Amino acid sequence: MDPFEVRIQFLALLKRLNASQQSIQKVVGFAIKYFPPCGEDLWDCIVEECQKGSINSRINILYFLDSLCETCLLVKSHSNSIGSDSGTKQYVDFVNRDIGKIVECVVPAGREGLPNLTSAKQILESWRSKRVVDPQTVDDVLTALGKRTPPAQSQPSSTAPVEHRKSSHSSLPRTEVFKRIEEDRERHKRLRERRWVQPVMHHAPGQMNLLSFLPLTFEKDDDTVATVDVEFDNDWETTSDWNEDDDEAAADESELCFPAEGEGPMDLD
Amino acid sequence: MSRGQSPGPHSSKYHHPYFTPAEVEYLSVKQRGKLSAAQEERARQSACAFLEGMGARIGFPRRTIATAQNLYHRFHLFFPRKDFHYVDVSLASLYVSTKMHDTLKKPRELLAVSYAIRFPDLVAKSKHPGGEIDLDAMDPQVVERDRQRLLSVERLLLETICFNFTSRMPFPYVIKLGKAFKAGKKLTKLAWRLTIDCHRTLIPIQYPPHIVALAGLYVAALLSSFELPQPPEEPGLRSPQELAEILGQNGDWESKYQVQVDDLEGIAHTLIDLLVQGSQSQTQNTSPRTPSSPSPNPSPRTPHPSTESQSPSDPFDADKLIRLKIVMRQTEHPPRVRQPLGTADPSALYSGDDVGLLGRNEGTVRFLFGPPGVMGHEIQ
Repeated sequence: MDPFEVRIQFLALLKRLNASQQSIQKVVGFAIKYFPPCGEDLWDCIVEECQKGSINSRINILYFLDSLCETCLLVKSHSNSIGSDSGTKQYVDFVNRDIGKIVECVVPAGREGLPNLTSAKQILESWRSKRVVDPQTVDDVLTALGKRTPPAQSQPSSTAPVEHRKSSHSSLPRTEVFKRIEEDRERHKRLRERRWVQPVMHHAPGQMNLLSFLPLTFEKDDDTVATVDVEFDNDWETTSDWNEDDDEAAADESELCFPAEGEGPMDLD
Repeated sequence: MSRGQSPGPHSSKYHHPYFTPAEVEYLSVKQRGKLSAAQEERARQSACAFLEGMGARIGFPRRTIATAQNLYHRFHLFFPRKDFHYVDVSLASLYVSTKMHDTLKKPRELLAVSYAIRFPDLVAKSKHPGGEIDLDAMDPQVVERDRQRLLSVERLLLETICFNFTSRMPFPYVIKLGKAFKAGKKLTKLAWRLTIDCHRTLIPIQYPPHIVALAGLYVAALLSSFELPQPPEEPGLRSPQELAEILGQNGDWESKYQVQVDDLEGIAHTLIDLLVQGSQSQTQNTSPRTPSSPSPNPSPRTPHPSTESQSPSDPFDADKLIRLKIVMRQTEHPPRVRQPLGTADPSALYSGDDVGLLGRNEGTVRFLFGPPGVMGHEIQ
């Protein structure tokens, strides 16, 4: 297919994108397949659709981007392991570059963006913790989101520009609202279920690859070390200091492991 | 001790949360049978490496992988290796671990990833750019047979832990203690990795997690200071040398954190032995991974470049590690007294007459979560 046809097909897929995993995986597969040579072009399509689409379709795109990034990183890890690394994280690099723009579109200021705010924050936090996007960049975006004037406060209707008539200021039919609520519930559930997933890595088989042997300081471009450290870095930030609960837990485990004097060895009677 | 309420034989099996070194030795020898210790160790490392590989591909957190390794070690204190393939036991261990730690994956999902690891040529043929295998493209009889084996080993495994699903991990303690002892992030990171590697040994089923964690910090401190120049002082942090000295002698920290200095020494020796083993195996494996995919640029997973030419400042030089062990022996403390080997052989529950009981629904088997004395009530 020539690049022009690829673009046309992709746009059609994007327009039909819905909240289901099936739909998302279909578009993800297409995007990955045609990354060389059409990656930049397809990315432009995504951003454009994000700017022009309805509020609902914009959140669908954000969830699509989540799956897209997940797959890009999986593909990269796999190609690393078979020695055919292209060196890029494909669309993940674009996401990192344009994340501010995207979040602005997905969560526009004012009441319009409200339906997407919670989901967007959840996805951003997931990206931060899995290092899909650099943590500082995510923090900046989240701060910008937090700084906005809460839409509950006065928004005089006389200042509403003409364009807003086309947006979802107009209330959706009840069925659409329920459908969106249900979709959000499913997607939040899926995000929650995947919350434990750490960045993925493919090992070369057959070696005694002790983690202790890996270099301690992060060298640029050394994906292995970065991946291995993510869980440690996250836990370093979130683990509480030693406290009374830990004293109790240590006592419990010590008692199980080193029973007190006078208790004999296990007796099967 | 049977209560004659329902028909069939009765017995009680209780969860044996930790083993003493003497018990580990006794049970290992018993289950080893005709295998040599070296063969046993190789099988053990294959299983642990396989579990690491599975965990890395799926993105399991450390606790899931570590518990799977613990369960694997525990299983083979009760059952001989000759009767089981390490892949089946590893997958069953991993499956149970995913349930324990709320990181659930179905058996079929685990199998798909295991095939991708074990059969790279299948992966090469797969349509998926992410190196995944489509189970539907495999022989359904093979998949079903492997799934059944996973589930039947799971059943045995659950009985060896008496369905006790609790599992405290050392990893949070590595961080808590690292901060409490002002070790700094970098040293704590090394301790974290050492604690991960520690699960390739039977240490975590012989010592409580907070002790395993502190031992990780101790070894990290030793490796970062032995035969190395003192690094520049960092305000508010202890140097590795200082930390190694503190943890190498009696002190207030022992009662505060409910540890004994000899615990750390015992664990340190086992951990350093593992590092020696790893260092020696790495210098042997310098050939490329697969002849069919030579890479002009070494991927991050090829042997660490510095093992090719072992410099004196490389903390993982095998000779240096052995020198460290010798120095440690000069100042070590007498080990704490553990329970003597009793007349009760926990694995005896799983041999002879009882094998027939296991996995079947005949008779009543009471599973108790802890040994009677510790549980604080009389078991008649």
